[in-house]
Amino acid sequence: MSCCGALSVAGVDYILVGGVAAAAHGSVRATQDVDIVYRREPENLKRLVNALGALQPYLRGAPPGLPFRFDTETLAQGLNFTLTTSLGWIALLGEIAGGGKFEDLAPHALTVEVFGVKCLILDLPSLIQTKRAMGRAKDLEAVAELEVIRERMQRS
Amino acid sequence: MSSLDDIIDIYKRDVDRTLVDASLARTVEERIRAPEDFEAFLEELRAQVAGRRDTIR
Repeated sequence: MSCCGALSVAGVDYILVGGVAAAAHGSVRATQDVDIVYRREPENLKRLVNALGALQPYLRGAPPGLPFRFDTETLAQGLNFTLTTSLGWIALLGEIAGGGKFEDLAPHALTVEVFGVKCLILDLPSLIQTKRAMGRAKDLEAVAELEVIRERMQRS
Repeated sequence: MSSLDDIIDIYKRDVDRTLVDASLARTVEERIRAPEDFEAFLEELRAQVAGRRDTIR
């Protein structure tokens, strides 16, 4: 979650999706990385580089020593990056299956304040939609739990 | 109903409702912190087990 603190302090436009968003909605499934959908507008890419640049971002799973530069040019030329940082793993997603880009997801995001910083979290119906679209076995298991959570919340 | 719905329904049978209810009783911050605390616990446990393995060798 500390990565999110760095992003929020730097004013990055992003939405928390994936396992951390699921945890925020009540999931008890373990997650080890933070998935965010970021706005791909040039100023936001600069803010993203400023936020994470000092955290030694590097491509997760890549052999050491590659000439990876975490800068706006790299971000502009790519879309989705799974990174290691000194504060943990983070996936920077330009768009996600079943949800699209930041601009598509923003109307379906909730503002929450956690650990002293405000951040956007994808709402439960949209999170379920994106997990369904991923379609992997682990995503369908996650959907099952999220649907149980939705049923519980509708009842209360 | 698609086959995905059928699969999700099967998975739903195994969702531990008691854990879900306990999680829903927490604040959002507490829900996010819980897996982090558990991960820290696992890291400590792994370190302890690795230390014991070295002792056994």
